[in-house]
Amino acid sequence: MTPSMDILPKVASRADASYLDFVEGFREYIVGKGADFEERLDAALRAQQSARAERFQNVDEICELMHKMPLARLRDRLARTQQEMKWQKIVSSYEAQRRELADELATWDSRGPGRLLLDQNFVYPPYVNVHFHLQPGGYHKDELSGFFYHYGTKVFFRGDNDQDALHAKLVSSVPAPRDGRVRRVLDLACSIGQSTTAFKQRFEQAQVTGVDYSVPMLRAAHRRAAMLGIEVDFVQGLIEATHYPDAHFDICFAFIVFHELPMRIIRATVAEAARVTRPGGLFAVFDFADTRSKSPFQRYHRWFDARHNGEPYSQDFCDCDLDSILAEHGFEVEAAPVGQRSGGAGYMSNWFATRRA
Amino acid sequence: MSQSPYPTQQTPEGGAPLVGDSPSYLKDPVLDVTVRMLVELAAQVWVDRERLLVIESLLDERGVMTRAAIENYRPGPARLAALRQERSRFIDDVFKDLKRIPADQEK
Repeated sequence: MTPSMDILPKVASRADASYLDFVEGFREYIVGKGADFEERLDAALRAQQSARAERFQNVDEICELMHKMPLARLRDRLARTQQEMKWQKIVSSYEAQRRELADELATWDSRGPGRLLLDQNFVYPPYVNVHFHLQPGGYHKDELSGFFYHYGTKVFFRGDNDQDALHAKLVSSVPAPRDGRVRRVLDLACSIGQSTTAFKQRFEQAQVTGVDYSVPMLRAAHRRAAMLGIEVDFVQGLIEATHYPDAHFDICFAFIVFHELPMRIIRATVAEAARVTRPGGLFAVFDFADTRSKSPFQRYHRWFDARHNGEPYSQDFCDCDLDSILAEHGFEVEAAPVGQRSGGAGYMSNWFATRRA
Repeated sequence: MSQSPYPTQQTPEGGAPLVGDSPSYLKDPVLDVTVRMLVELAAQVWVDRERLLVIESLLDERGVMTRAAIENYRPGPARLAALRQERSRFIDDVFKDLKRIPADQEK
C-alpha cells in the first residue's frame, strides 16, 4: 500500500514550513557563530573570573554576572522566543489537520510487521507532567505529541537528523558486547523509535523492543517503523520498572532521557537496566555532558535551560556522577573522563557500561 | 541552588523551578514584546520572500507571466476583500504579543 503521508507529516502549508525553516535558521544564528553570543559572553565571564583569580565556585556567581549584562539578557530573550515560535507554529499547523493526522495514526496501529503493545491500565507518574523543552502538553497529553516532537526535533537538530542520520550514527557507535552476542535489545524511553529501528537495522537477527510511557509517542513510533517495514515492538511502560525477566537483554540503550528524569528515577532506571542486562551485556547511554567541567557560559546555559526551557531535572543530572551510579549498580564503565567521551554531537557524552558477571 | 530573578513554579518532583509562560528578560515587558515582534516580523518576511522566490522561479520556468503583469495587477472586489483579510491576519501575527503586556502601573 502506498503511504498516505510522509513519515514526518507535512505542516499545513508552504508558509508554515517556511516559517519553521526560518526558526531553524534563527536557532542556528543564536547558538552558533552568527550572533556569536556564546563566545562573547564566555569571554566576558572568563575576564571576570581572571580578575578574581579563582574559578567560579557555583553557578549562582555566574548567574549574577550574566543577569547584569544586557547582551546576556537579550540572548536569553531570543533563546526563549525561538523555542516558543517553533512550538506555536508546529502545534497550530498540525491542529489544522488534526482529524487527518488522528486517522493516519489509527490506520497504522494494528499493522505490522512489528507490534504496538499499549497498557490500558497504565497510570502516568507525576514526574512526566512537565512541558519538556516547552513542548505543549509534554510527551503524552496530546494524541499528536509524537508528530509535534518529530517536527520539533527536526528544527532542534538543525538539519543533522532529517533522515535520522544522528540516530544511525549513535547506534552504530555503540560497541557490541565483548562476546559479540546480540539477541535482544531494549531501547529505554524510545520516543518515536528512531534508535529502535536503527538497532534492528544494525542487528537484523535480534529482537528489538522500544519502551516508553507515552501513548502518542509509541503510536508515532509504531507507525514510523511499520511504514519503514522494520519489525520492532513498541511497549508502553516505565523504564524504571519494565517487568522483563532478569538478564534478558544483551544491550540496553538510553538516548537523551536521563536529563528529563528526577534523580530518584535515574537511580531506579540504572538499577532496572542492571537487572535486565545480562552479565557481559552493555548499557549504552547518550546524554548531556557533565556541566562541572564546562565553560562558565555552558554552566550558565544549563541553569537557564533547566528553568527557562522546561528541563527541570537536567541540572541535577548534569551535576551528578553517572559513572559512580553505574558502578554502584554493577556496571563497569570506561576509564576515560566523561568529557572526553563523545556523544555524536558536541553537547552530548556517552556512557558505555558493561554488566559485570 | 541559585535563586531565579523570574517568577517560578516548582515541578511535581523537585528539580529546578520553572519560569511561567511570559518571562520578561529585558527588565521591561514592552522591550521583551518589541524583540518578540521583531523576530516574528523577520519570520513573516522570510515566509513571503521564500514564496516569492518560488513563484518567480515557476513563472519564469514556465513562461506564463511577466513582471509587468504583476506590477499592473488590480484586484477585483472579492479578491480585494480577501487581501484585506490576509492583511489583518498578517498584522495580528506580527503584533499579537502586544496582548501579552499587562496593564500594570509603572513601578
